[in-house]
Amino acid sequence: MATATYQSPPKVPFWHTVKNNFFASPLDCIISLLCVVFFATIIYTIVDWAFLSSIWAAEDEPLCRDASGACWSVIDARHRIIFFGLFPYEEHWRSTLACVVMIATIVASCFPWFWSAIKLSTLWIAGFGTFYILMHGGLFGLSVITPERWGGLALTIFIFAAVSIIGMPLSILLALGRRSKLPVIAKMFGLFIDFFRSLPLLTILFTAAIITPFVLPDMLQGDKLYRVIAGFAIFFAAYQAENIRAGLQSIPTGQDEAGLTLGLGYWHRITRIQLPQAFRNSLPAIVNQFVITFKETSIVTIVGFFEILASGAAAYGTGVWTIHYIEVYVFIGLIYFIFVFSLSRYGAYLEKKLRVGHG
Amino acid sequence: MANNPTMTPSAVKMESVNKWFDQFHVLKDIDLNVADGEKVVICGPSGSGKSTLIRCICKLEDHQRGTINVLGTELNEDVANIDEIRREVGMVFQQFNLFPHMTVLENCTLAQTLVRRTGRKQAEEIAMQFLEKVRIPEQSSKYPGELSGGQQQRVAIARSLCMNPKIMLFDEPTSALDPEMISEVLDVMVSLAEEGMTMICVTHEMGFARRVADRVIFMDEGEIVEQNDPHTFFENPTNERTKLFLSQIIQH
Repeated sequence: MATATYQSPPKVPFWHTVKNNFFASPLDCIISLLCVVFFATIIYTIVDWAFLSSIWAAEDEPLCRDASGACWSVIDARHRIIFFGLFPYEEHWRSTLACVVMIATIVASCFPWFWSAIKLSTLWIAGFGTFYILMHGGLFGLSVITPERWGGLALTIFIFAAVSIIGMPLSILLALGRRSKLPVIAKMFGLFIDFFRSLPLLTILFTAAIITPFVLPDMLQGDKLYRVIAGFAIFFAAYQAENIRAGLQSIPTGQDEAGLTLGLGYWHRITRIQLPQAFRNSLPAIVNQFVITFKETSIVTIVGFFEILASGAAAYGTGVWTIHYIEVYVFIGLIYFIFVFSLSRYGAYLEKKLRVGHG
Repeated sequence: MANNPTMTPSAVKMESVNKWFDQFHVLKDIDLNVADGEKVVICGPSGSGKSTLIRCICKLEDHQRGTINVLGTELNEDVANIDEIRREVGMVFQQFNLFPHMTVLENCTLAQTLVRRTGRKQAEEIAMQFLEKVRIPEQSSKYPGELSGGQQQRVAIARSLCMNPKIMLFDEPTSALDPEMISEVLDVMVSLAEEGMTMICVTHEMGFARRVADRVIFMDEGEIVEQNDPHTFFENPTNERTKLFLSQIIQH
């Protein structure tokens, strides 16, 4: 073969890679085999517990005592409590529908087609409006159900969506304020952000739920749920503002100067040049904050809300089900996983999309 | 050598302009009068204040003393007239400063639609017209990161021209380019000069200065040390500092 062509690098067969990396010497072989056995055992144990030796139907609960696997009967029997909390049984369809509406709103706002101020605000006003009417009732012949009886997945998603949608614009405002050219403004915003960042979320939620009623006049209080969401949103915004500020600071000054020399005003430079690049620069941190926030919604249990984790505790808290808390937590873990994993995959997709043309 | 020998109205008029960065005196009593349609090249060692000077003309920097008059409007703290001036004055930077998150075409239409309130379709037509002028219409749907330095700088020039400026400022437009890309940018600048654009260029491209400049200015330590028509400037420099500088940049 005198005339070798070099159009593509030579292919290394898969088996060679495996052999060279894992079975090069006798010691490598032993370590690799031990690892395979170890992980296979773990995986088999989990599969056996969750699927092979498990009991599924609610009415099979008596079989659970002799079964070596999971007793999913608890989920079959008690899933309504996990999903709906204290929401009245015959109105569960409303909570389900509200959940679907809220998730659809979140998913829709992930599509670039909706990315304009008008479309996004229309979407979210419609989404929240529908959610509120379904959950709270009082209109269209729906019975009134006050927020303290909301619970489960609907409440978790509602808190997350409300905190995000209030917190995000607030965080942009805080980040811009902290970068103000006027020292007094910059200091004030800096102080505000650092104050809320240095308090534990728990403290803020307690203050919002229990202390503010003594301070605020009645008409400004609103329901406990809304006070808690407002406190949570400020906490979220304080952190997110720092992520956005980091993104803004990594933009070369020449970008703003180019905008200036083209005659663009402050808001045009901010919305068209600075913010899009800031979001791209700190996207991983921004998505991370959303992920943390979704998981931190479980803290509202402490001020008396039955979000999904607290509802789960209620689900296994009575009668024969008390021993099956592992199954319940695995199930709730799975729900959290679906949401958070989708969120991070969406973050990864966005990163890829926004990297277009940046080499 | 008078600043403004003819009666043509001046595009830029600077009178005893002074500027400090903290304690550092960057511009010392600058008097400069650029006539409508005149092409001025400013050169000088780094730190001599030449970039600061042209940045003062579009108010990217504030001056502390003296007056700067651009197209008949004095630059002061009045925000409205600053924006008005900036629309009339185009600026091309050493680092291009294209918006990386927009395509070439979007870079060129952004200010037109937001500032001039031109319709999208018309803005795109104008943009394509100038992209053709800088000879890269085929790149219009690409992102700046996909282009070479020379192409990016030509887009930056087209982006400025889309605003239909009366004066173009160039701040070392070829200094960040690989050698083989310098001429494609200079060619665009030459054709712009031939069309009668008022230009103030900070550059060390002496061939360009010889070819298009009406006047070459040498700055050092914040002062205008010497200025003359290109022929006299290069053949018979009078000041010692000018001679030293020219010998340093031309010896290769």
